[in-house]
Amino acid sequence: MRQLDTITQKFKSDTAVTRELTVKGKKYGLVIFPDLSDTATIRAIVVALEAQSEPAPLDKVKTEVLFECESEKSNNIDDCINGLLSGDVLLAAEDEEGYLIVNARSYSTRGIVEPPTETVMRGPREGFIEDLKTNLSLLERRLKTPDLAIEKMQIGRRTDTAVAVCYLASVASPKVVKKIKERLKKIDIDGIVDSHYLVPYLEEKPLSMFAQVGVCEKPDVLSAKLLEGRVGIFVDGSPIALTLPFILEEDFQSAEDYYLRPSCASLLRLLRYLGLILAVLLPALYVALQNFHYKLIPVRFMITLMSAIKGLPMSPLSETFFVLLLFEIIREASVRMPRAVGMAMSIVGALVLGETAVKAGIISSPAVMVTALSSIALFTVPNQIQTMSILRLVYTVIAGLTGLFGLTLAVLFTLHYICAMNAYNAPYLAPFSPLISSDFKDSIDRAPFPEMENRPESIPNINSRRQAK
Amino acid sequence: MNNNEKPSTVSADTSKEVKQASSKQLIAIIFILALATKMFLQPLFLIKSAGRDAYIALAIDGTFDLIVLVITLFAMKLSPNRDFFELTRCVFGKVGSRIIVGFFGLYLFFKLNVAVSETVAFYSKNILTDLDTTLLILILLLFLVGVALHSLRAMTRLNELLTPVIVICLVLLITIVAATGFDLANIFPTMRHPREFGITLSRHMTWLGDFSPLLLFLGRTEMKKSTLPLSVTAGALGTAVSVFFSIVMCAAFGNITSMVDASTNLSSILQYSLGNVYGRIDLVSEILWSVASFIQNALFFYCTVRCFEYVIGKPFHLATSLGVSVLLFTSLTVMFKDPEILNAVIVSEITSGLVASFAVTMSVIALVCALIIKRRETKGGQNQDKSAKALRSSE
Repeated sequence: MRQLDTITQKFKSDTAVTRELTVKGKKYGLVIFPDLSDTATIRAIVVALEAQSEPAPLDKVKTEVLFECESEKSNNIDDCINGLLSGDVLLAAEDEEGYLIVNARSYSTRGIVEPPTETVMRGPREGFIEDLKTNLSLLERRLKTPDLAIEKMQIGRRTDTAVAVCYLASVASPKVVKKIKERLKKIDIDGIVDSHYLVPYLEEKPLSMFAQVGVCEKPDVLSAKLLEGRVGIFVDGSPIALTLPFILEEDFQSAEDYYLRPSCASLLRLLRYLGLILAVLLPALYVALQNFHYKLIPVRFMITLMSAIKGLPMSPLSETFFVLLLFEIIREASVRMPRAVGMAMSIVGALVLGETAVKAGIISSPAVMVTALSSIALFTVPNQIQTMSILRLVYTVIAGLTGLFGLTLAVLFTLHYICAMNAYNAPYLAPFSPLISSDFKDSIDRAPFPEMENRPESIPNINSRRQAK
Repeated sequence: MNNNEKPSTVSADTSKEVKQASSKQLIAIIFILALATKMFLQPLFLIKSAGRDAYIALAIDGTFDLIVLVITLFAMKLSPNRDFFELTRCVFGKVGSRIIVGFFGLYLFFKLNVAVSETVAFYSKNILTDLDTTLLILILLLFLVGVALHSLRAMTRLNELLTPVIVICLVLLITIVAATGFDLANIFPTMRHPREFGITLSRHMTWLGDFSPLLLFLGRTEMKKSTLPLSVTAGALGTAVSVFFSIVMCAAFGNITSMVDASTNLSSILQYSLGNVYGRIDLVSEILWSVASFIQNALFFYCTVRCFEYVIGKPFHLATSLGVSVLLFTSLTVMFKDPEILNAVIVSEITSGLVASFAVTMSVIALVCALIIKRRETKGGQNQDKSAKALRSSE
């Protein structure tokens, strides 16, 4: 059949299979991608065609013969090929122009499980998977409102990846939505294989080490974020949804905070903030105090410290930097290793290496303790581990070279830098700077839900009220 | 849409932060400016010349500064949408405006010299004695250049973020000091040598004008009804805190005047004496002062850069910031390499007179310009009304 040849000629290999069948004198042709299509659906199409009393044209096939299937007629060859590559079946008829694109997509997906990055003791355990359709259905099940807008687009010249932009039309700021869509539409890349590919295109400062796009793997979290006026972005093939606008505070919030008692959640949040400050500044302070400001160390503590560092071959800076670097190497190795080996690695790294290094007099036990404490504290905010690890190393070096003077300036500069970040009209450090007192109800403190009457002001939205007074 | 929900009248896209600085941010920055350098060298010089009456001189200086602040705030209120550059351009024309802003930039540059040298002197003489002063200046300049690359909004946000920390440190310090107690008898008798006191005042006007950078907030700040009184209160509170610590110092050490003669930096005595007497609170006070002074330095640097950019006519942030930092580095490491030279310049009557007159003149210029523009706008409005009436009557 001419139509079938037109399609198959476009392919460099013979992965597209064509079949012809005659129904009561009328010829139909099918183009199938067996690897991507569901055989049962193909069989059902064939059976339905053969069962016709009168051979129908494609328009009638669509509405009467294959009425239970999702199908669309198209004369555009590119659309047909795209559909075919996604697992659709192309149906052509003799003496008729165009094709009927019938949805027969089928690919094996993994089950819906709890995402390893967002585990909770209480609360839903569903997580997104790599299938866009499943992810959208998980979201739609939670936000049962016609207000939920899902706008799909294809990105990637070669991958033609489906991307879905989701938001609540009466809540999200139209300007933010427009800006996001414009940025996505401007992307002209050969392919995207994960949602993270989109991140630099959506960020205002792609070179910054601070994340400006939020990520989430759970439908309950994404629903809550959309309810606050954010926009979610799904990419087919990725279990991670992107959320925008993003502010730093989000990384200190866990899904579980909303399922715990407010007082418990507030305490946990406070611990996270303190943990992060401790993680980033403790090694730097240790080095600065030892190198330059030993007068500030209380005398008794000083005596203990002096006995611990006596005879060490390295300076406080090189010693602490060495231990920090060692920790980073062990951490990286543990993450990349298979789980069983990773455990062994951690034991060897933490116990054997640390213990023997202290015993050998290469490093001191206070340096190991400071690094260990800082590293444990770092894990209180998992999304900030990468950024804060870099900052910790930088601060330690600055503090070792210029003491509290340089350290204070470095911290001030970092804060100033993040104060300047204002992507999508959402101040990165809100609600602390600028001070938005109403948003403190869901900041360090987590107020009970009845008190959270309004959506966060930090996130641009067009419907500030979320519940009746 | 749920019935309980109602669309907000104002889209958050046109949210509260339309201006570069909010009213709260302005108040916070005024408090920090009032607090910053008054804690460093100024009390030292005042004690050297006025003895225990230094705190009175400090209070009088602070009051003068508050008057300048009030003038600036009135200018801000009168000109909610036009910035300082636009105001001067409307009144004096392009060339006149550039000359005024150029002089203002030079004045700020001198103030920046004083502020940076005080900060570096404090660190190099007390905290980082092993480190070369040049290195400290370089590090500080790096920070200042980084800050000047961003907007005023970032600066005001940073200040807003840090003000609570500084206030907490202050409250902690004041509580410790008050709980431990000090002998107020040490600050008496006062005004034993009124003539010397007068001379002291006239020679220490270089510290006036701490609020001068606020001129760049004109037209960029959200002004509410309460902004003016609250801003003045914040300024007064900041000055009061500085005076309080000077009183505490004089009260805690009966021999303060002889101690100052043996030292070149008052902060060292204040910091470490407080540390010795009241326990390990010197770290807290060090953080308090350094953060406040770094913000002040950054604001002076930012304003100097923006003034020079206006004079040049091109907003090359990086190039201008680097240029100003090179100038500053040269002046601090070549011209004022010996701190005594800078000190002599600072306390000279000519410098004092110039700085004081600049501090007042610039604020007055801003106020006058704002008044002229306001009058023009009112007249313009009246003329429009008249022509509209005439049009209607002819119809």
